[in-house]
Amino acid sequence: MNRPRGSLAAGLALGGLILALGLVAPFLYPADPYALHPAQALQAPSLAFPLGTDELGRDNLALVLAGGLATLVVALPAAALAFAAGLAYGLLAGLAPPWADKILMRLLDVVLALPSLIVLLFFAALVPLNNTSLILLLGLISWPGLARLVRNETRAQRGRDFIFAAEQAGAGRLYLARAHLLRVIAPVLVVNGTFMVGDAIFALSALSFLGLGVQPPQVSWGSLLETALNIIALDPWWLILPPGLLVFGSLLAASLTGQGLLRRWGEAR
Amino acid sequence: MISMILRRAASSSLSVFVLVTLVFFMAHLTPGGPAYSILGQKATLASVAQVNARLGLDQPLLKQYGIWWWHLAHGQLGYSYLLNRPVGALLWSYERNTLVFYSAAITLSTALAILLGLAQGVWFGRWPARLIGAFQLGFYAAPPFFVAAMLVLWFAVQLGWLPASGITDLRSAHPGLGAYAAHLVLPVTTVTLLTVSPLSRYFGEAVHEELGKDYVRTARAKGVGFLRILFAHVLRNALRPLVTMLGLSFPYIFTGGVIVESVFNYPGLGWLMWRSALAQDYPVLIAIVLIIGLLTVIGNLLADLVNGLLDPRASYE
Amino acid sequence: MSPVLEIRNLSVALPRGGAGLVKVLEDFSLAIAPGEMLGLVGESGSGKTIAALSIMRLLPPGAALSGEIRLGGQNLAQASEAEMRRVRGKRIGMVFQNPLAALNPSRSVAAQIAEAWRVHEGGSARAARARALDLLGEVGIPNPAARLDDYPHQFSGGMRQRVMIAMALACAPQLLIADEPSTGLDPLVAAQIMALITRLRRERDMAVLFVTHDLSVVRDHADSIHVLYAGRSAEWGGARDFFAQPRHPYSEALLGAVPRLGVARLRTIPGALPEPEARPPGCRFAPRCAYVRPDCTATDPPPLRAGGTHAACLYPLSAAPPAEPAPDLPAGERRYLPLLQARALGVRYPGHAAPALQGVSLELGRGECLGIVGASGSGKSTLGRAILQMQPHTGQVTLNGQDVTALRGAALRGWRRRLQVVFQDPRESMNPRMRVGEIIAEPLVLQGQTARAANAARVAELLNNVGLSAEMASRFPATLSGGQAQRVAIARALAAQPELIVLDEPTSALDVSTQAMLLNLLKALGRRLGLSYILISHDFAVVSYMADRIAVLREGQVVETGPVARLISAPRDAYTAALVGAARR
Repeated sequence: MNRPRGSLAAGLALGGLILALGLVAPFLYPADPYALHPAQALQAPSLAFPLGTDELGRDNLALVLAGGLATLVVALPAAALAFAAGLAYGLLAGLAPPWADKILMRLLDVVLALPSLIVLLFFAALVPLNNTSLILLLGLISWPGLARLVRNETRAQRGRDFIFAAEQAGAGRLYLARAHLLRVIAPVLVVNGTFMVGDAIFALSALSFLGLGVQPPQVSWGSLLETALNIIALDPWWLILPPGLLVFGSLLAASLTGQGLLRRWGEAR
Repeated sequence: MISMILRRAASSSLSVFVLVTLVFFMAHLTPGGPAYSILGQKATLASVAQVNARLGLDQPLLKQYGIWWWHLAHGQLGYSYLLNRPVGALLWSYERNTLVFYSAAITLSTALAILLGLAQGVWFGRWPARLIGAFQLGFYAAPPFFVAAMLVLWFAVQLGWLPASGITDLRSAHPGLGAYAAHLVLPVTTVTLLTVSPLSRYFGEAVHEELGKDYVRTARAKGVGFLRILFAHVLRNALRPLVTMLGLSFPYIFTGGVIVESVFNYPGLGWLMWRSALAQDYPVLIAIVLIIGLLTVIGNLLADLVNGLLDPRASYE
Repeated sequence: MSPVLEIRNLSVALPRGGAGLVKVLEDFSLAIAPGEMLGLVGESGSGKTIAALSIMRLLPPGAALSGEIRLGGQNLAQASEAEMRRVRGKRIGMVFQNPLAALNPSRSVAAQIAEAWRVHEGGSARAARARALDLLGEVGIPNPAARLDDYPHQFSGGMRQRVMIAMALACAPQLLIADEPSTGLDPLVAAQIMALITRLRRERDMAVLFVTHDLSVVRDHADSIHVLYAGRSAEWGGARDFFAQPRHPYSEALLGAVPRLGVARLRTIPGALPEPEARPPGCRFAPRCAYVRPDCTATDPPPLRAGGTHAACLYPLSAAPPAEPAPDLPAGERRYLPLLQARALGVRYPGHAAPALQGVSLELGRGECLGIVGASGSGKSTLGRAILQMQPHTGQVTLNGQDVTALRGAALRGWRRRLQVVFQDPRESMNPRMRVGEIIAEPLVLQGQTARAANAARVAELLNNVGLSAEMASRFPATLSGGQAQRVAIARALAAQPELIVLDEPTSALDVSTQAMLLNLLKALGRRLGLSYILISHDFAVVSYMADRIAVLREGQVVETGPVARLISAPRDAYTAALVGAARR
């Protein structure tokens, strides 16, 4: 938190690296992640298999890269969806008359209190889990935090004199939202949007870890960790470190970038 | 103050009611059903219908919902379909484990957070605070399953110092307290590492902010020494955000975390909730959700109450 | 008699935003005798607060300090932190502005006063509590025994400041430093605090260093005056001589800029206060001085004894300043065409027992300025917001006979546009992420005028009207000074071509010289454009300078309305009389 200026650059660099690993590298690395080499099962890293092999003898590097692609193609759109939903709901509540705001916020309280795992289990039983449904489900459970933040920010800004001055000059609700509120809360939005990307990657990994996310035979960072943990007694450190570090790195990149942005705007304001 | 707490308790119980209702219908509308968990996936339709009739699941949903409240009003939480035990007793046997585990972890991380936060607030912007900041950033971003996996890998698998999972040594007939304690070390360390980061960070920022306030300058102008300013003036005012956060994490002391408990195969309430949800063991699942809802409310109220004691202004607002 | 405190050649430099150390106070010397009250006067950036904090060695970290600060035989400039702790609160007491922030919100006043005693004198908790009780009684807290365990927020602003004073007096210090202790308080309460400090220093033969931006506050109480400008002493000496004949042009200008009852014209000081990084060579005041000569910018002026005071000026004023031209005071009551009528306005905030506003009726003529005066909490801002329709209210408001209560939607917005507003805090009243040009053009855009070139030309014209250059249009509000920002707010109000502007404490966040400039600007604009004003302020003198008529508000009700001259000469209500009595003359 106290790292001056460097944090934004470090966050962006780390984030760029992870995006490149997840979105570009799978198409560059030739090995087939699903090809089995039973004779070479559970081998430590070597020249032939830079990150070793899993218990079925699959190339771990290829698995990690494929898992990254599977994670990012779900997590990134899900974060965008949750962002849009949270922003819309928050603005609606923030601009609504007090009684409607009260109802909307009480509703939000309930949604926030719902254990997201149970919601997911419910929907997972209703619809088959694939990339599209996962994006929708993940988006569905991730928006309330931002909605509350946007609503609170909007309410706080609405009491400020410049809003009154605009109203005195003839501004309506839509104009206020567009010309004033969105503009003042833009830094908060960008910062929290950054955090949400990290959160989506984490949420999807956690779900996959529990078996509810990306479905087999497709692998993801979370499911790779889960399978590795099942055989942890065999000390397969090369199976645990790469996917774990990548999820960790994603969250770290989001934190660093978000904090860097926050500090920059904090100084500008 | 009291009327405010009553008002908030009333409005929160409404939220809990809506929550429980939602979960009840969601759980019951989920395709499949507990019969398959009991009989296995290859069960015949006839045997499934028989089980459903025995469990009362063939009744209209609204009636089942009414019956659930009727039983609750009489202090009954029902029977677990899967384990065929009263839910109350079942919950308690898992609850004990979670309570020990999480109260140890939260106590430890609160103590650590106060130490780290004080250091961070006092040395704000200088190297000790930056070091703490880097630690916080790292563990703030660390996913719990990764931290848990790494701890198991190092201390249980490679070094063999500590047991990797479970709650006690199953091989010995009369495991001592030592065995329980050894099994707690890794889970407690994991949760402590993960929770101390946000707690200490908010507290550290609060300490820094309070140290910059006018009343601190006033105290200095009276000739009060720095340590006395820190402990007699600043600490109490800076504790408020920490208390609020602890209030928010209050439910976890009782419900634990699904992920950490499942990594360590620790039979706590979070683990039970996950198992019941997968097996569609409705009575257990809904009872746990009810508990989480109530604990959330209680946690918030406790935080308000403590903050009301810390800050005399709160009671007048 | 040897002085209690003697400062010699004190200079202070502070680290400012990466620019390294910047000198904020230079070559400052003064002496205070026992029982003497010295008024240290200056506008923002003058270094007055830094001087006060230097004595206590409470400067922000990284500050560099040189010179001598002698308290008795001890040089505080060289003292260690441990030695300073024995001085602070024991030999020097200090009272700060804004007592709500300066007191710890979560400790009782008894604990906070007792702490000041116990830190130095030790002793039992019981003895310290008894001491706190004595002190609370001495500073005039009614029924002190019952209030010992109350918390700061349970006291009114004036009572809180009395608690602060009690705390500073706990160990009977030789010197009391009071940093703007009455600023921000209602005028009547501020007068009581001044009287209290005066009484205490007489009773205790205690020296008082009174720091203020407002010369008139210390006029009746100080024995001597020391005026600072931009980090340097401008003039110092006996208060009687100073007020009879200020010698430094800045002192003269500052005195002339303060609104007082019966003053027809405020002096405007051209230009703005220099930033510490960009202070001019030679005499700091030279660029703004009405009497400047070529050699003023060449050398630092030495202190010259001129009459009863010393002035750091090459050409101190000798004669009395030229008499102002006779004011064109309205001979009788002028007649106005009616513009706005408010009837039986009432506002009740949820959760409050007493209404914020009750049965308020007002009339305002075209081209008239109506002043609304009242203490904080009297409902004066609520009244302004009710008239502007920012606040739901009961009762009726009509503009040119058109009743607003019947209007909805576009018609209501059109009605509201004819009334504009200027708020107290100019920064709060502008979107921090909009440029000045956009802010001023907003009323135009909202009226459907979206032609960029035409709007830019209009913005330039409006900026020119309020005395700003057209280049300002590309700036962000955060880069403006308080006075500039308030001018932009006025330009925005003018852009809507209003018939009436509500001015809600428009100058109370500004320095004295900026306030004078702004009041003169508003007066000129009103006359030229035929504007009507409602001026809301706690400051009777400011309102009397601007307004044709004044309405006095107390606890949500109008207690008296009348022409300014009549209200001053023959107030009918006791509260009005008290306000007039406390106003500057």
